[in-house]
Amino acid sequence: MDTQVKIYTTPTCVYCKMTKEFFTENGVKYEELDVTKDAVARNEMIERSGQMGVPVIDIGGELIVGFNKGKLAELLGIKV
Amino acid sequence: MQKDHYDVVVVGTGAAGLSAALYTGRYRMNVLVVGGKFGGETSSAGVIYNYPGVKDIDGYDLMKIMKEQAESVGAEIIDGFVEKIEKRGACFFVNIKDKSEIRANTVIFATGTERKKLGLPNEEALRSKGIHYCTTCDGPLYVEKTIIVVGGGDAAIKGANLSAEYASKIYILARGNSLRAEPINLERMKAFGGKITILYETEVKEIIGTNKFEKIKLSKPFNGSDELSADGLFVEIGAEPDITLPNALGITLDEHGYIKANALMQTNIEGIYVAGDAVNLFGTFKQDITAACMGAVAATSAYNFRKIHGDLCEIHSIPIKSESAVAS
Repeated sequence: MDTQVKIYTTPTCVYCKMTKEFFTENGVKYEELDVTKDAVARNEMIERSGQMGVPVIDIGGELIVGFNKGKLAELLGIKV
Repeated sequence: MQKDHYDVVVVGTGAAGLSAALYTGRYRMNVLVVGGKFGGETSSAGVIYNYPGVKDIDGYDLMKIMKEQAESVGAEIIDGFVEKIEKRGACFFVNIKDKSEIRANTVIFATGTERKKLGLPNEEALRSKGIHYCTTCDGPLYVEKTIIVVGGGDAAIKGANLSAEYASKIYILARGNSLRAEPINLERMKAFGGKITILYETEVKEIIGTNKFEKIKLSKPFNGSDELSADGLFVEIGAEPDITLPNALGITLDEHGYIKANALMQTNIEGIYVAGDAVNLFGTFKQDITAACMGAVAATSAYNFRKIHGDLCEIHSIPIKSESAVAS
């Protein structure tokens, strides 16, 4: 079964764009939650990550704050 | 595929670095571009309205186009961190973290600047817990909240304008008695009316909050109080160059701590050029158009130097490297 990947974003965040491009380049399916529009997702993100910066990425329950290519690759089993 | 020798190594992947890459590529030089934060400041600048030839474009998208353009003429662009550059004879030896050492005939510094911090206690501990340095990234998160933007320059006003689309109230703290933003951005700010309040000649004296930003102490009272509460604080007080590599090479800096260069973007070290926000050629006026312009000029100077000095680096590289190895 594929690992579930979620990304919490804002529309103007460059690191969110970089992360989504990394997913696309590597064929990773993800669910995007725009926290400017989705108040439930916004509160969930703040509560779970304990901070207010985006992107926050949830890979199978593990949270990553910010675009960290090495960490993403490690958790997704991608060679970079 | 990384080679062990390049005609030119460009440090930095912002507008200056990618412009230098495009021009050196078109000069048919072997060029390697190394950068940590792709797109530099432009990538997080939001929508760019003043790059000639493009009506409006997101800064990150503009940088991606510049990258594609440079790659189309052979530039090799990699993510990486340049740890050390040494000049030995006619060669520059470049160490990139986790990669093998490479040689280059010329180097172009397009390293840009790092955003300044307030330098106050509590600032780092509350980073992303209410304190931010990127309004385009995190400003929109403050839906129906109150935020403070510190700074009176164009980046601060652009940040406040973007955040005003989401926040319910914004305070701008300006150190001076006027704002230094582009008139068009000031006009846009005024259109938000009472949503944005400017506190002139006011600075942050103290940051207060436990686990989460709560309020600041002001240098000058506002509405009878020397404290101002908000949900978030955005710091947009300018930037300064990282001069670690230039210092190690003995590159001369100007009186403001930026890399000193002439109109051909030459530094005091033969074969080293500079472009973009790391140099003050146009004073404090730092734009994509000036960065790209400097990148093109630096590339041309590197090309001319390479033509005159031919293959000196290649011819001498092996004995120089051996002597250096013996000496160490």
